[in-house]
Amino acid sequence: MRLVTATGLVKSYGSGRAARRVLDGADLEVHAGELVAIVGPSGCGKSTLLHLLGGLDLPDEGSVELGGRRLERETARGLTELRRDYVGFVFQFFHLIPELTGEENVLLPARLAADRRAATRRGRKLIADLGLSEAARRRPGELSGGEQQRLSIARALVNDPRVLLADEPTGNLDEESGHHVLGLLRSLASGERAVVLVTHDAEAARIADRVLRVQRGRLEE
Amino acid sequence: MTLPGGLTASVRRLRVHPGRTLIAALGIAAAAAMLGAAVTVAYGLHTGFDRSARRADLPDVIARFDDQPQQRVDARLRTLPNLRARSYRREFTGVPLDANGHASQNGVLQAVGGGRRGYAIVAGRDLRRPDEAVGERGVAREWNISVGQRIGIGNARLRVVGVAVSPDNVAFPLAKGPRVYVSQSALSPRIGTRVNIALIWLNDPSLLDQTLTQARAASFGVGGLRFLTRAGVRTTIDQAAGIVIALLVAFSVVALCSAGVMLMASAQAEVERRLQGIGVMRAIGFSPRAVVGQHVLDAGVLALPAGAAGIAAGALVASRPSANLLESINELPPGAALLGPLALALLLVVLLVAGSAALPAWRAARRPVVSVLRRGELAPVSRASRFPAGFLGMGMRLTAARRGRAFATVAVLTISAAVVLAMLGMATLLNGLRNDPGLVGKRYQLTVNAPASEVAAIRRVPGVQAAAPRYVLFAADSFLLGESLKVVAYPGDHTPFEDPPLASGRRLRSNGEAEVGTGIADALGVRPGSELAIELPSGREVRFRVTGLVRAFDNDGRVVYTRPARLLAADPSLTGEIAVKLAPGADQRAVARRLFAGGHPAQRITGGTTRNASFLSVLAALLRAVALVDGLVCLYILVQALALTARERRSTIAVLRASGAGRREVLLVLAGAALVVVLAAAPAAVLLELAVLGPAVSHLAASYVSLPLHARAGQVAIVVGALLVLAVAAAALAGRRLQREPVVAGLRSD
Ligand SMILES: Nc1ncnc2c1ncn2[C@@H]1O[C@H](COP(=O)(O)OP(=O)(O)OP(=O)(O)O)[C@@H](O)[C@H]1O
Ligand SMILES: [Mg+2]
Repeated sequence: MRLVTATGLVKSYGSGRAARRVLDGADLEVHAGELVAIVGPSGCGKSTLLHLLGGLDLPDEGSVELGGRRLERETARGLTELRRDYVGFVFQFFHLIPELTGEENVLLPARLAADRRAATRRGRKLIADLGLSEAARRRPGELSGGEQQRLSIARALVNDPRVLLADEPTGNLDEESGHHVLGLLRSLASGERAVVLVTHDAEAARIADRVLRVQRGRLEE
Repeated sequence: MTLPGGLTASVRRLRVHPGRTLIAALGIAAAAAMLGAAVTVAYGLHTGFDRSARRADLPDVIARFDDQPQQRVDARLRTLPNLRARSYRREFTGVPLDANGHASQNGVLQAVGGGRRGYAIVAGRDLRRPDEAVGERGVAREWNISVGQRIGIGNARLRVVGVAVSPDNVAFPLAKGPRVYVSQSALSPRIGTRVNIALIWLNDPSLLDQTLTQARAASFGVGGLRFLTRAGVRTTIDQAAGIVIALLVAFSVVALCSAGVMLMASAQAEVERRLQGIGVMRAIGFSPRAVVGQHVLDAGVLALPAGAAGIAAGALVASRPSANLLESINELPPGAALLGPLALALLLVVLLVAGSAALPAWRAARRPVVSVLRRGELAPVSRASRFPAGFLGMGMRLTAARRGRAFATVAVLTISAAVVLAMLGMATLLNGLRNDPGLVGKRYQLTVNAPASEVAAIRRVPGVQAAAPRYVLFAADSFLLGESLKVVAYPGDHTPFEDPPLASGRRLRSNGEAEVGTGIADALGVRPGSELAIELPSGREVRFRVTGLVRAFDNDGRVVYTRPARLLAADPSLTGEIAVKLAPGADQRAVARRLFAGGHPAQRITGGTTRNASFLSVLAALLRAVALVDGLVCLYILVQALALTARERRSTIAVLRASGAGRREVLLVLAGAALVVVLAAAPAAVLLELAVLGPAVSHLAASYVSLPLHARAGQVAIVVGALLVLAVAAAALAGRRLQREPVVAGLRSD
């Protein structure tokens, strides 16, 4: 079963002479149970691609289909539903809300879940599993990069999404916790679910089912 | 043009966030507009008399007396040791004047002799020949007379060669009669040598009192002598414009302070928004001084043009109506002299904004770099959250967590809402001054037109607490403004019925004593212990000993309180009315009905300000202009504060949306973020108005009475309601905008 289908994605930034086509006809299919790693040099467009897949931005050309729904045809309400129930996003730069504590940040999506209680329980368990019990009580400004990263991962998983889009989720982690997080992602990518992972990490690439490279705005095996 | 390096960098920094810079600039411009309007009104009115007196070369003393040959008066005047200069006029009243199809039977013709004039020519030129006339500005304006036209004086027609202003009286039509000057030589030689006014300039004005005493001593044989001093003229003119001008000036002063505080608070909030940047600058090696310098420069670069534009706009809006008001009291608008105070105001704006930016920047720059970088202005986490659960409560928490910024925003909202409340309170007061007798010191509510013998019967009517005969007459001796002195007499203690506060001296106790309104005391030159002589309509003169001066609004303070015995002795035909004071809680209408049933038709009392309709409309126009500027500014600043609150949630909203929050949740968070400042500001605004602004305006306007300047409950409800609606509207607007942009755009906004 295909969970994510992207065809002919084009995305440019800037205009006129400064215009730059970051993505230029990128295609991608992600199936249930798959863990896909996306690699490539800095600035090649990995984050851009992930944003498009998650419906956080719209492509100039091409289309993205999540669970059989074409993003560009969805209403604002439809996109909201998809982001709430279908996709989890781990940001490269965490984007925790500075005014809220770690735990409040993690449980933020739980407030939106259909089953709030279950989501909250899951969130608390993730906090414990990722070794964040201490960090959860403090504000992001007072946490280490790795702690913030793990909080951001926990937040993405609270609503138990079908597709997890993770932008360098181990970039700030030491070997051991990186290993732990990768194990978590690997176990997630089974059955009905899938994970798309942007990474510079050799280990991450090793455990992936497929590794795709962004080159000249396209994805290559 | 090339700017110094620092400035260029500053401009570049401000251009990074054009939207935010624009909002900040508009906020500064708005507060500056309030300042500009306030300065224009306050300066123009406050300095109006002195400026006009100087321009017009107003004499230190104006002496009026019965017709005398000029040589005879001059022989006496010449002997005064302190005399610097003198000139003479002959005044005729009740002269028929006509021009351009307008006419008046009440014309005042003044034949001026040689020497100093005591008026300023504002158009055309001064008199040179017998067939010429100079019109007073009020007449020229009201009757559309321009230089070169002819004016009919009695059955002569003279050419108008100039227009003059003198602040020795209010202008036509506020003054009853249109005034025209001609030269003495225009009159037939037979009367030309006779005069009834002397203008006196002194060498040392501080010795005025002695000089007046000497002048009185030297005046033997000169009948009907009255002196009017410059201070007396000023009081009379001020009184004519009344409490309304005082209120206007006072309100402007309060608006000025409020604008200052608002500027400070928003400049402070602006720096709080940039704390991260301060941390980074410190981290890469800038000294605290360099950091502060940069913020001060940025603030100043923004404040200078924005402040200048705002002040110019405010001054422009207020200058026309303020000049109209000045014209109607024969004063001159400040013209270029206003530029000084306005420049000072601009300096104040720039200093306030830059200074307020410096303070938080300095504090932040002195903190350990890491703490600024990591926590910014966030307060430590507190365990107990007082905010409701859900997204609304979350929005509230988001705002409240940034203490410094929230505090500044609350301060701005509080002040602007309080100013709006004060303005509403003032509108109510002005309305009340016209309708509610209680406001002007009258404590009785009804009058009955009946002889004194009916008092006992009226006292028995249920709902009547007290009743007393009240005699009112206007002394025929029409003073300066053509409005006469009002004499109010009660047989006993007048304070249960009319209780003007005592300014000095004591209350009257016997038939021969009187209390004099401060509005006339200066002009008459009386004080406690002096003797007061008034001329009754019958022509009889009655004398009283002055026991005290009272601050009375009635008849603009030109009032005398006394007992009727001497008045009745001088004029037995004098009839009074009966003042009726209601028992507490009694219904005025019901009592009036009962009185009517008993054969005593009663009248309800209304209050009184200057009753001249055209003058009131001039005042109203000015008030509207000032209120419009201040109201709009406060509204804008309010919306701005709310918009900024919503705007700084941009990245948070993006995170929420990425997590699957929809329209409703986004709106709730934004509404919560705005509501929390409104909920804090609304009660603070009501309190500020009640405890500070209202009393301040009242005290500045009339230190002797406390004016009820507080907004009514209904007005408070409206303002608080409007605040809430605005908060929600600002949230909705920001929400709609943020919903439309891609989530990534919001994430990248930090
Ligand atoms: N909003 C934007 N405006 C202009 N250029 C942008 C914008 N977002 C990304 N870019 C540019 O697009 C290119 C791709 O950016 P992207 O963030 O996708 O790179 P990346 O592959 O994730 O890099 P990294 O590995 O460093 O995270 C970069 O050159 C970046 O400068
Ligand atoms: Mg990236």
